[in-house]
Amino acid sequence: MKKSVFLIGGFDETRLLAKSLILNHYRVSAINQNMDQCRELAKIDSLKVYHGDGTKPFVLEDAEVHHADIVIALTPRDEDNLVICELCKKKFHVKKTVSLVSDPGKTEFFRQMGVDSVVCAIATITGIIEQQALKEDITSVMPVAGGKVHVVQITLPKGAPSAGKKLWELKLPRDTIIGCILRDSRSLVPRGDTRLAENDQLILIVSEEQEQAAARVLTGR
Amino acid sequence: MKRVKNKKNDVTVIAGCGRLGANLANTLSDEGESVIVIDKDRDSFRKLSPSFSGFFLVGDAAEMMLRNEADLNRAHSVIAVTNNDNSNIFIAQVAKEVYQVDKVIARLYDPERECVYQEFGIDTICPAVLSAHEVEKIMGTGPEVPES
Repeated sequence: MKKSVFLIGGFDETRLLAKSLILNHYRVSAINQNMDQCRELAKIDSLKVYHGDGTKPFVLEDAEVHHADIVIALTPRDEDNLVICELCKKKFHVKKTVSLVSDPGKTEFFRQMGVDSVVCAIATITGIIEQQALKEDITSVMPVAGGKVHVVQITLPKGAPSAGKKLWELKLPRDTIIGCILRDSRSLVPRGDTRLAENDQLILIVSEEQEQAAARVLTGR
Repeated sequence: MKRVKNKKNDVTVIAGCGRLGANLANTLSDEGESVIVIDKDRDSFRKLSPSFSGFFLVGDAAEMMLRNEADLNRAHSVIAVTNNDNSNIFIAQVAKEVYQVDKVIARLYDPERECVYQEFGIDTICPAVLSAHEVEKIMGTGPEVPES
């Protein structure tokens, strides 16, 4: 059976998410309290749209939120998002709740209150900007485990100290794993005796603290 | 932030300085309690009486609570009476779950959300329900003792 996802509040986020979720074969419903936005949302094929305040239990009940597998709270107000997630969890027994927060300081509290996933847009965006602006050799960063672990892509520049060396010869910091090597559009699963070369792209799994140290060993910068 | 120089656990924090918030703050302050009032609108503190001897903080109550700018470790009770139900719920939960404040009271305009929050040990007050009880009492139709 198709999984059912509810998107509550939010307009631009809801629109994008709904389209992508429908493409991925989810049953998607949206709850929005602005009539104009509801009309706009209703133009999306096979998206069910409900008009109402998602923090009100009767609105959630009318929308049959108890059939939802995942509820995603996307309103701009953190307090509303928390109430939505808690109502869904406690009153309607939804298995998984996801909430957007605007204040990074609230992330931990939301988790403590039982929200399954908390996404902080501002923290994520600042992370990306920082990485784009400051770390030239590291081309993409995906934070996992709440930002404690990073999945990073590093390209070895010309003259990198690690080029020509075998992996076991490198003095990589602890908590660093080279997960994959991309060379000439092929992917290699590295072993201790794999020799690195210039222009190799490495996918690292590394703890937040060790990221810079690992980059230094590999690229020399 | 100014620190309240008092012994431990004797502060009441009131979030929201509307008519109810200000009224409570004035009464408690007159009774000699230490009171901290939080409201995001500086003008709302004009509702406090000239004899009010507590502190007031200007800012978003929910955020200030979470950052502990209101010194919640020292509070014995928190009263959330902003004009937004969800903010009140948020504030009450921060007080109860993060800072383990003894007595936490939240005003909810919408009684429907109440059921979810009772299990948290948060006392809720619902003006509509209270008014209905009063009206019933005056009309002599309601139950003698309002169910609690």
